[in-house]
Amino acid sequence: MSFEFLAPGAAVPGDRFAPVARTPMERAARAAGARFEARDGWTVATGYSSLEQEREACRRAAGWADVSHLGKLELHAAADDLAAIVADAAGGAALELGTATRAGDAWWLPLTTERALVVCEPAATGSLRERLEAAAASAARTVTVLDATCKYAALTLVGPLAREVFARFSAIDVRARVLPVAGFRPGSIARSPGLLVREGEERFLLMIGWALGQYLWETVADAGAHLGGAPVGLDALAEVAIGIAPVREEAGRA
Amino acid sequence: MSRLPEQPGERISRSKTISFRFDGKTVQAYEGDTIGSALYAAGRRTFSRSFKYHRRRGLMCCAGQCPNCLVAVDGAPGVRACTEPVRDGIDVRHMNARPGLDFDVMRATDLAPSALTPPGFYYKTFIRPRRLWPVYEKVLRHAAGLGVLPKKQAEREWRTEYRRRHADVLVIGAGAAGLRAATAAAELGADVVLCDEGPEPGGRLLAEGHHERARALADEARSAGVEILVNAPALGYFDGLVPVWQGATLHQVRAKQVVFATGTIEQPLVFAGNDLPGVMLSDGARRLAALYAVRPGARAVVATTSDRGLEAAVALRDAGVEIAAVADLRPDAAAGGALGDRLAAGGTEVLAGHTILEARGRTTVTGAVLGRADGSGGEREVDCDLVIISGGAAPATSLVAQAGARTTYDAARGVFRTGELPDAVHAAGDLTGAVGGEAVRLSGSLAGTEAAHALGLGDGASRARVQEAHRRLADLNTQAVAVAVPPAVAGGERGKCFACFCEDVTAKDIKASIAEGYDSIELSKRYTTVTMGPCQGRMCQLTSVRVMGQETGQTLEQVGLTTARPPWSSVPMGALAGRPIEPAKRSSIHGRHRELGAKILWAGDWRRAYDYGDPQGEAVAVQRAAGLIDVSTLGKMLVRGPEAGAFLDRLYPNRFSNLKPGRIRYGVISSDAGRIVDDGTICRLDDETFYVTTTSSGAGAMEEWFGWWLADWRMDVHMTDVTQAIAAVNLAGPRARDIMATVCDLDVSNEAFAYMDGKRGLVAGVPCLILRIGFVGEVGYEIHYPAAHGEHLWDALIAAGAEHGLRPFGLEPQRLLRLQKMHILVGQDTDSESTPFAAAMPWIVKLDKADDFIGKWALEHYADVEPETALVGFTMADGHVPTEGAVVVQGTTPAGQVTSSRYSPQLGRVIGLAWVASSLARDDARITISDAGSTYEATVQNKPFYDPEGEVLRS
Amino acid sequence: MPAPCPSPTRGALVMSYLLTCPNCGVREVTDFGYGGEIAARPKERPSFRELNTYNYFRRNVAGVQREWWFHRSGCRAWFVAERDTRTNEVHWTALPDQAPAAEEPSAQVPAGSAGGEATLA
Repeated sequence: MSFEFLAPGAAVPGDRFAPVARTPMERAARAAGARFEARDGWTVATGYSSLEQEREACRRAAGWADVSHLGKLELHAAADDLAAIVADAAGGAALELGTATRAGDAWWLPLTTERALVVCEPAATGSLRERLEAAAASAARTVTVLDATCKYAALTLVGPLAREVFARFSAIDVRARVLPVAGFRPGSIARSPGLLVREGEERFLLMIGWALGQYLWETVADAGAHLGGAPVGLDALAEVAIGIAPVREEAGRA
Repeated sequence: MSRLPEQPGERISRSKTISFRFDGKTVQAYEGDTIGSALYAAGRRTFSRSFKYHRRRGLMCCAGQCPNCLVAVDGAPGVRACTEPVRDGIDVRHMNARPGLDFDVMRATDLAPSALTPPGFYYKTFIRPRRLWPVYEKVLRHAAGLGVLPKKQAEREWRTEYRRRHADVLVIGAGAAGLRAATAAAELGADVVLCDEGPEPGGRLLAEGHHERARALADEARSAGVEILVNAPALGYFDGLVPVWQGATLHQVRAKQVVFATGTIEQPLVFAGNDLPGVMLSDGARRLAALYAVRPGARAVVATTSDRGLEAAVALRDAGVEIAAVADLRPDAAAGGALGDRLAAGGTEVLAGHTILEARGRTTVTGAVLGRADGSGGEREVDCDLVIISGGAAPATSLVAQAGARTTYDAARGVFRTGELPDAVHAAGDLTGAVGGEAVRLSGSLAGTEAAHALGLGDGASRARVQEAHRRLADLNTQAVAVAVPPAVAGGERGKCFACFCEDVTAKDIKASIAEGYDSIELSKRYTTVTMGPCQGRMCQLTSVRVMGQETGQTLEQVGLTTARPPWSSVPMGALAGRPIEPAKRSSIHGRHRELGAKILWAGDWRRAYDYGDPQGEAVAVQRAAGLIDVSTLGKMLVRGPEAGAFLDRLYPNRFSNLKPGRIRYGVISSDAGRIVDDGTICRLDDETFYVTTTSSGAGAMEEWFGWWLADWRMDVHMTDVTQAIAAVNLAGPRARDIMATVCDLDVSNEAFAYMDGKRGLVAGVPCLILRIGFVGEVGYEIHYPAAHGEHLWDALIAAGAEHGLRPFGLEPQRLLRLQKMHILVGQDTDSESTPFAAAMPWIVKLDKADDFIGKWALEHYADVEPETALVGFTMADGHVPTEGAVVVQGTTPAGQVTSSRYSPQLGRVIGLAWVASSLARDDARITISDAGSTYEATVQNKPFYDPEGEVLRS
Repeated sequence: MPAPCPSPTRGALVMSYLLTCPNCGVREVTDFGYGGEIAARPKERPSFRELNTYNYFRRNVAGVQREWWFHRSGCRAWFVAERDTRTNEVHWTALPDQAPAAEEPSAQVPAGSAGGEATLA
């Protein structure tokens, strides 16, 4: 099972051609003043105004970052096979509908009992796919593992007003009592099919069809800027914790 | 200036003076003023001109209920001056009066004999002669409506947005009952939103001397964690979703439980001149005095049906307004009790059993005529500059009725209040007919607690409190209410008595409509438009019901209320529209197309390159050298599993289970009715895996179609939509192979990579699936690869093709090229009636397949039946390009239509596809096309116009 | 397991209602695509009349029916719902293999062929 034509990380840079993957939000980010670097085969926006200003946006209002480069793998198998493969590949993790599981620096997202999406760092995509395929070898029925990296554009929304920004374009209920940290909600985002993960108290991962990436960026930026937010680069984003740890622990560090 | 000394609880800050303009003149105000209070303080009494008669209208309710103070603020029409806070420097202008508020030429409509302007005036007067309608329309359009939008588009735009708010409990109305309900629910752990149309929570408490209690209740609610939205009217109830409009934001509140505490609306009385500036509701006068320290008048006459008017009289007297006389409709002089005594002790004459018959004055009130309600005389005229009226308190039932509540007639008060409530809907306070302040507050706590209980919150103690509250409330609500029900009209013979201020409908007009046969309240509403104006029935619903009851001899219960409909509060269209959120799909190469100067248009939900400025030249380049088109919009699916071949055999009329890995086959999807639904190519990647492409527009529908049958058949097949994950370009033309050879690591010779082969290899360093298909009729490679490399691979091909004459081409030249090959475009050349047989593709249907497939039974039937019409190619006799959709005629009878047509520069003639009668579906048959009034001759051709045998494709 | 659906106003006709996706949970109805009443495809070759009935006729009941829904904005799975067409009250939703056995046989036969059985009452 090798569908490399789906895998941006399978490109082979050589003397003549040096393919570097680009996200659908790149041009919008560039227009918003982004600085770019090549990381793990991707052109990524690392920063905008200044690290301090971006931190401030995340602390006081909302920041959003293009994370479309995150690796995504789609796993499709009969329910019991899927559970066994996930347990094998994710260190014993068991998936539960509506909840994202954090294991091995990846989010494990059950779409149904037979389909799951795994979101990881781009550099880890290849090895994770191999791990899943190895775990699938013992499955009784058909198992499909696909690189779905380019199926979904992704954007992270952080900050105390992240919820408010989100409420401007989606009806998904993101109140903490309904959607706790690691809550996972497939549903309509900006009038389009989407996936939502609450990565932290004030950190949300939004995924939407790749071709809708620029549109999602524009929608988030329109709502977010009006509430005092700003785009942030991967460097500022890295300071906002994933998980239940207090979000603003770095506040005093600057 | 008519400012009073500082009032306890006033809302204005006297230390902060701000100014704004009204009709060009500067007006001073205090921070906290409304536009209305500031203008009133500055001496203005006329605020608007009425809809039809252009009569002067002044402040009446001071609570955003009536239509009398609509103004335009900074170009936005329809703003209520009485509730809109003053902001420094705003430009306020009057509406519906020319040349000005104080002299309005359209006032002539009021002075004309009323026989000329009966109800239904427009319908009756302007229907003949018919040829004059365009003239009438122009005049009516000019006269109709109230506001005028700014001419410049930029000034008509303002930012609005939606905000979705989920909640456990939504409480509508922040009076005493609403505040108590919100607090009670929040204290039991519910997530509560409270909204109110006023600028501050507290409702009537604020203007009636209980501002401290109001603020304490609001503080309690805030401490309990309630989110309070002020200046935020709820617009309606849409199956649990309540839009709450707050300035630029439309909160869409989805709450599990909703508590309605919308209170009451003080009703006007219907008498001659009841719309004259200076006639004010008692609540309005009190608001002006208590909240803005504006003296509503120097000398007032009060007409009331309950203690509410007496309380106002006392309060206003204490604030420095002389109360000349009070007409209390209640026949028993003792009804007013201590309040009446206090007024009498202060020298005010209190006339029991009296009401107001007429307000006199030319531009504002100068006097009032009082008399006995039963018409037995006792008339007297009293000089005054203010008439305070209180015609009863009508519960604001509209919103709760929209939520499915029933209303019941309360005969003691002469009003409708809430009756039976549906699940998850609660009512509290005055709305329920609670008697007295304690009952109002208690009913609030009760509703909030019960809402929390319905959510599974609460404990034994809270349940005990509910029991106790029910008992206590029952006791309180049995107390007698001293309210007189006013007559439908008083003093009708003295002048115009307005039932509806918004639409200028008089009580006489309603009577006339009943006489004409519109004798139900719903019919009368539509005919006279009463209750359909900006007040949404607040001021006129009860009055019109009373007139109807009186005229038809029905009880008010029999007359009933009209169906409550949103919006309950007037709201700008822009607030309902929200942000223009229009999902736009863009190919990963989109940015490059724009840089290349492509014309970008919508194609379904995609933004696509239609051409790069030279569609015919682009098409020629494809046939002479090479072209590159972005086809990323094609639907793409991976279908996998041991039964994948069998699955496709069941979905398609032809076979795929026998397709060899690495080979491609064309397929048409048929419905069970045998009609063409979609088409595309399928490449078998390995024994278990097929790569399926669909049309661009059918991508979503096909994913659903495949998934639907899978859900039903439950085969061991996985279907994954990869439409957006994969960029796809089609490189085509005589030089395509040469170009491919320079960028691809595969042997692309015709022997190694034949027509209808599908291979995987590297193109410009990117792993690709390469399909050799005849998309546009030339040797072509459709290259599918990860969307993240969209621009990289496009750029590499453009660079490699430069020396070969490669040009990018758009959707328009692609259509021409495909038309030359007679490739049908599903949805353009076919419709919901087209079968593969009629669409000249009988070869696609394999009826010899042993197993069942979708459409088999219908196709077996159609295989034996000569189709009535058939899809054919045609060549025009002359150079006319018929419109797509032009009719094919036989004599004068329509016999088909043109579905595609283009001028082909390669062929030097106009070609097309058309549906024609089957008898004409033979080569060289002559057909006639009727287009835009002329007829044109064309010749039928069944083989492709270009490369009919497909030799070019296979070369 | 069939999932219950919230019903904000039981008994009254609702339009903007909520549906429970068996995979994703409660969402606005606008999240979903409607697939129509469940009409099993004929197992054997139907007569032409039966085929047309299957293709073009629906029972269109004023009452409780089973129908297909697609979670278009979410997990993109098809599921089954039992809904009262008079009120839009949804009694339950379930994945196709977890739906309770149909009580009335008409839900198992082609919708069209049951058309004659639907009463006008």
